[in-house]
Amino acid sequence: MHIRKDLSPGKQSLLTTGSFLIPLFLWTIVSYAPFIWHPDIKLQVSADRSGVTTVFTAGDRVSKEFFPTFSEAIRVENQAIMEAREQNKPIIGSRRDNLKKLRHLAPLAVANGWLEVKEQQNDEKLYGVWKGLAEGSLKSTEVELTEENIEVIRSNWRLLSAYAPTYDSKRYPTEAMLKLIPQGVSSNPVYLPAPHEVIQAGWRDFTTKPDNDMPTMWERYRHSLTIIFWGFTYSCLLGIPLAILCGSLDFFSKLHEPFIDFFRYMPAPTFSVLFVAFLGTSDAPKIMLVFVGTFFQLVLVIANTTRLLEKSLLEAAQTLGANRRQLLKRVIVPGILPNLYNDLRILLGWSWTWLVIAELIGEKTGLTGFIDTQGTRYNFDRVFPVIILIGFTGFFTDRFFHGLRDLLFPWTEEAQTGAKGPITRFILRMSNHSSYADRTKA
Amino acid sequence: MSSPFELPSYLEQSTAVADRFRKLHNRPIKLQVHQLSKEFHSPKGKVNALRELNFQIHRREFITVIGPSGCGKTTLIRILAGLDFPSSGQVMLDGKSMKGPSAERGMVFQDYTLFPWLSVKKNVMFGLEVKGMGKMKAESEAMEWLEIVGLSKFAEVYPSQLSGGMKQRVAIARSLANRPEILFLDEPFGALDAQTRASMQDYLLKIWRNVDVTIFFVTHDLDEAVYLSDRIIVLKANPGEIDELIEVPVPRPRSPEQFLSPEFLATKKRLEDLIRPADSNSNETVPMIRLTEIGDEVE
Repeated sequence: MHIRKDLSPGKQSLLTTGSFLIPLFLWTIVSYAPFIWHPDIKLQVSADRSGVTTVFTAGDRVSKEFFPTFSEAIRVENQAIMEAREQNKPIIGSRRDNLKKLRHLAPLAVANGWLEVKEQQNDEKLYGVWKGLAEGSLKSTEVELTEENIEVIRSNWRLLSAYAPTYDSKRYPTEAMLKLIPQGVSSNPVYLPAPHEVIQAGWRDFTTKPDNDMPTMWERYRHSLTIIFWGFTYSCLLGIPLAILCGSLDFFSKLHEPFIDFFRYMPAPTFSVLFVAFLGTSDAPKIMLVFVGTFFQLVLVIANTTRLLEKSLLEAAQTLGANRRQLLKRVIVPGILPNLYNDLRILLGWSWTWLVIAELIGEKTGLTGFIDTQGTRYNFDRVFPVIILIGFTGFFTDRFFHGLRDLLFPWTEEAQTGAKGPITRFILRMSNHSSYADRTKA
Repeated sequence: MSSPFELPSYLEQSTAVADRFRKLHNRPIKLQVHQLSKEFHSPKGKVNALRELNFQIHRREFITVIGPSGCGKTTLIRILAGLDFPSSGQVMLDGKSMKGPSAERGMVFQDYTLFPWLSVKKNVMFGLEVKGMGKMKAESEAMEWLEIVGLSKFAEVYPSQLSGGMKQRVAIARSLANRPEILFLDEPFGALDAQTRASMQDYLLKIWRNVDVTIFFVTHDLDEAVYLSDRIIVLKANPGEIDELIEVPVPRPRSPEQFLSPEFLATKKRLEDLIRPADSNSNETVPMIRLTEIGDEVE
């Protein structure tokens, strides 16, 4: 490893791949190696404690410290029921309570494919599940039931079948049934779903159409891109000419830049209420926010880029007879174009930040709307695919524009000496095969 | 400091040279500088960069300004080219006083200043197109000029692919394509290596012989000044004033053999004496530390 020495292209691309694989590898290790972290228990079978308002259902996570307390409490309750039953003074159990206890088996039945997700309240089908498990005709493969719980199932089934040999919605035991003892596997917190969960959730969200009138993910994606596009386009259309004027003529610079410099410190999101008030709740305030967020930075950055153009080029053009208008058109604009292009690439990256805020004002829309909704429901496995999509979109558009740069500005030093990235090589190959061959030879 | 050779006086001119200067002085005056001064205001006070300069340049004359660093050479050429303004005094081109830069006064800078986004040919076309010349005509003229500087093969290449010497040839072609009345060159070969510099000097002389243009040249290289010029303006620093105006006694056409001719050496010696006057504080030497005795008695 030599300081400030370039590595060979082979090594470079290897390391580039590695830079993506390392975090992916860490994520996988943390997710799938049960001895690393995993501070929680993800419940597969849950139970309600009597007299406690916090309700856990299967799929919820409880901390490893709390889990023994939780299951012990249920065991104590079962103990009481059993003792009362042995003394022939069984505890009274309402139909509602017993139904609840029976329904705690539903998530397990769903996991095994015995019930549809929508059928979790279908008591007739559940009756069949209890019967099957008690008599041994059904065997849970997805979640291995503990001996303890199989005992509970058998005991409850004896009681249930005594009251209703076949399913009858009106006939339920009048004495309290036993509760299933909570069971679970160790897991990471809800905000760190495992890779396969994220992939599955992403695949589901991006391939299925949501049942209500909600837009599909691709429609949301397109909506987000539209807002970025218009916000950024307006910003460029107004900002670039103003910035070039400010960078070229001190008059414009002193007239506009102090205010712009002041205005950019006022955070754009704070104006969102204002935008909604005068632009309504359509896309207009969102586009406006992206515009305001990028415009002021853009003017300052590009004005500065304009000022950085070598003065001697302007002087040379003047001694060749160029007037002010010609200087602007023939020297300043073409001279700053490559740097301006780079500035725009960076600013486009920033506009994604503004998009996220823009989509939350007024009516929540687009990808951020989805992230917000699912985030509040703790469906982080559905959130991550969207975040990754935004990341990839930003990354690949930037790579694309970076690649295009060498083609648009073949005269820059980078274009002539720099190594070509894959996108540039691809475009060069598509556009002009012979020129590509010449370049590699040279 | 006494010279081992007996050099003739730099003021002695052969009849051919004297004849040439007589004709030259009869030519119309191209550029007239009258009582030109430039002051800068720095925190330490007023600095006289140039004080009351007076000289005139005749048509097709090759005039060089030389002087120690900080004598205002660059300030002078920038004022004459219209890129800076004098504090007082007048500069007249063909008898008319001028304001700001214009195409009549071409300029070649030390750092090439080619437009990197234009091909070599388009660079040369720049001035012509700015003037409003049609594209076809501008292109054919540009090609002619590239032919003259020997770069027609590189017409479609971008400047960044050229060597320093080639870049400077393009810059000269670009200025000359505009057919300026006078061409200013501000240390144009200063960044080039010795060999390229020598060949560029010959190039410039060849071009100047074939093109009707007056040349105002700034350099700090004494050989270059003597080799190229008809007359040399020697400036001194603080305040920037003309120390002497030398008529170079070396006959034309010039060739590298003349570097060792008596007239050449005499002129160069004179320049040296003017620019490095018998070392005023020669006692002040750089303190030296010798770390180890080598002990081989070679001193």
